[in-house]
Amino acid sequence: MQDPRIRLAAAAFLSVAAFISLQGAAAAFLWWLVFTPRLQIAKRVRLVFSLILLIAFFSLVRELFGGSGLSYFSRMTVIVLIGMWLLGEQKPGEFLTISVWLFGDRIGFELGMVAEMGMQSLVSVTADLDRIQMAEKIKGMQWGVYSLVPAGLVLVHGALARAEDTAELLAVRGYRSGGTLCPEFLTGPLDRVAGICALGVFLSALMPVSEFFILYR
Amino acid sequence: MEVLMVRITLNRAYAVRDHWSLTASGTFQEGVHLVSGDVGSGKSTLALMMAGLFSLSGGCIEKEGIISTMLSLQFPELHVTGLSVAEECASWGVDPGEILDATGLARRKDASPLSLSRGELKRLQLACVLAKDYDLLLLDEPFSSLDCGEKAKLCARIGQKSQGICVIFTHEQDILPRVTRIWEIVDGTLVDCGTPPDAFRHWRHVPPVIRKLTALGSRPDNISLDDLREAACRIQG
Repeated sequence: MQDPRIRLAAAAFLSVAAFISLQGAAAAFLWWLVFTPRLQIAKRVRLVFSLILLIAFFSLVRELFGGSGLSYFSRMTVIVLIGMWLLGEQKPGEFLTISVWLFGDRIGFELGMVAEMGMQSLVSVTADLDRIQMAEKIKGMQWGVYSLVPAGLVLVHGALARAEDTAELLAVRGYRSGGTLCPEFLTGPLDRVAGICALGVFLSALMPVSEFFILYR
Repeated sequence: MEVLMVRITLNRAYAVRDHWSLTASGTFQEGVHLVSGDVGSGKSTLALMMAGLFSLSGGCIEKEGIISTMLSLQFPELHVTGLSVAEECASWGVDPGEILDATGLARRKDASPLSLSRGELKRLQLACVLAKDYDLLLLDEPFSSLDCGEKAKLCARIGQKSQGICVIFTHEQDILPRVTRIWEIVDGTLVDCGTPPDAFRHWRHVPPVIRKLTALGSRPDNISLDDLREAACRIQG
């Protein structure tokens, strides 16, 4: 999907739909199967696996103590898939253009810039984590619980150092607030269809199933 | 007595990243090797490939007689696994006392390694790496974050190594150790420039001072500061 506005709106609609009901999750999953390059997930298999494992743990706890754990697991897994699709399609600068398009050159620019910095930081942290694991391998150490504290400290230290550098750079360039940007968007042939379908999924999730089917009790 | 030969051979070893690729062929034998190239040319990737930490997309790397390998990464923070400077030294399997004395960091042994400046941390990392002997020692940008004095000390330390293969990946142009062979990465390919001083004729990244000395008719024998001084003295008579 080329147009980031439709992509973001579709992701929001689908996530809400998946969160509020099981049928919404099923429809959102169907949408994911039809409109996204599903193999993209293979590139982030480690992240997806970790997230699903985490969800599985909380679902089990929920199932044991309050019920509806399976429903929670299904809905959250669909949200993760939608999130991974959104992350995979994301290109640098898109948050800034959407934000300026939505809120203008002042607040929009600042919000977009913060979001871009956040994304950049996330990418850097992931790269740092890979290098830390590599460094431990070089030293002949095993990645495990004992490495978590120093690795966490290195990651936080790196993130803070980068934030400080960025703040200094902005100050040196005389940045005060806002900025100018002319947002331009390309809309692909299937973008509108996918967007409308996502809206349909969202609306169908809002309506109770009994509106359409006769349910026997 | 049989002398065990150490050697690493790259047979069209091929690495691909998003919009970039690197092909490397050649044999690295015992001695000090210099791999030069522009920033972003693939030096760090080649170091990772030779250390066995980067999956090849094609070709292969054969190691002979190499039992121990060490790679020193460019950014010293990424090597930190200890919560104090002394603990960090110990994590390299070396005696913290000796390292701390040698680096002048004895008074900060209980401090967090991340509270050191990048230069201090780099000094500490290199001291730990060079404290032990390895069959294959890969140094990725070892001169970055070091001042001239420390660079000269590092060159002397590398020069003292009498066994194994040491490969230096750097874009440093001023202070370098005496090397056995020069390589460079040009347009995504590793090129063997040969042994100095003949290598200077083909070496695209030849330091300006060597180019100048050669133009003046006094080609240095090697790339170390001593060799450059000696060549400069020849001009002055």
